[in-house]
Amino acid sequence: MTEVDNHYYAIKTTSKQERAVADSIFRTIERRLLDIKVHSVIVPEELKGYVIVESPESHSRIQELVESIPSARSVVPGETSLEEVQHYLVPKPVVSGIEEGTIVELIAGPFKGEKAVVKRIDIGKEEITVELYESIVPIPITVRGDHVRVIERKGEE
Amino acid sequence: MAARKKVDHVCRKCHRVLDADKEACIICGDSSLSTDWQGYLIIIDPKRSEIAEKMNIDLPGRYALKVR
Repeated sequence: MTEVDNHYYAIKTTSKQERAVADSIFRTIERRLLDIKVHSVIVPEELKGYVIVESPESHSRIQELVESIPSARSVVPGETSLEEVQHYLVPKPVVSGIEEGTIVELIAGPFKGEKAVVKRIDIGKEEITVELYESIVPIPITVRGDHVRVIERKGEE
Repeated sequence: MAARKKVDHVCRKCHRVLDADKEACIICGDSSLSTDWQGYLIIIDPKRSEIAEKMNIDLPGRYALKVR
């Protein structure tokens, strides 16, 4: 399917403007405002402040593209590879790194700011069941995995 | 959560990102849309993109990497 040799470049963007930068690149290429070929743009959730472009062009041509895109700051020197980039295509479940006994802080919902101990993890639904630390009666609460911040892992001093 | 501020919808079936006013996917016609999604991928040239090949995408457009 692919005959051309693709290169992967990381572009530094202004914070929280990753999607806007990707959309601008898409518009620029689609409308043929610049004669630069870009095959795809990845905005990985885990990599804040960067977008990755897949292109057969040289580093200097991508630099030229970046200069015409608002909120794009620079091209990271050198290039990356498909092997290094492809794991971003399969986002990690938000509950990875959380296990039973982990102490977390709820960062959203009615119990925001409360500390809790993880009792159960549902990887499929990406939900965790916790018990609030300071409640007298232990009531299990099920929250989304991305609504907690890990404070202390089990076994940590 | 940049994804949630912009209320673009994502088709749960084909992961295509749609404008907020759409009620069904413009490609597969599925009406199961979600506003809770993460990761963003734009495919411009699916024939020459190795990323598109890996993701089994053969139409250009905007896609989400994860949809809840």
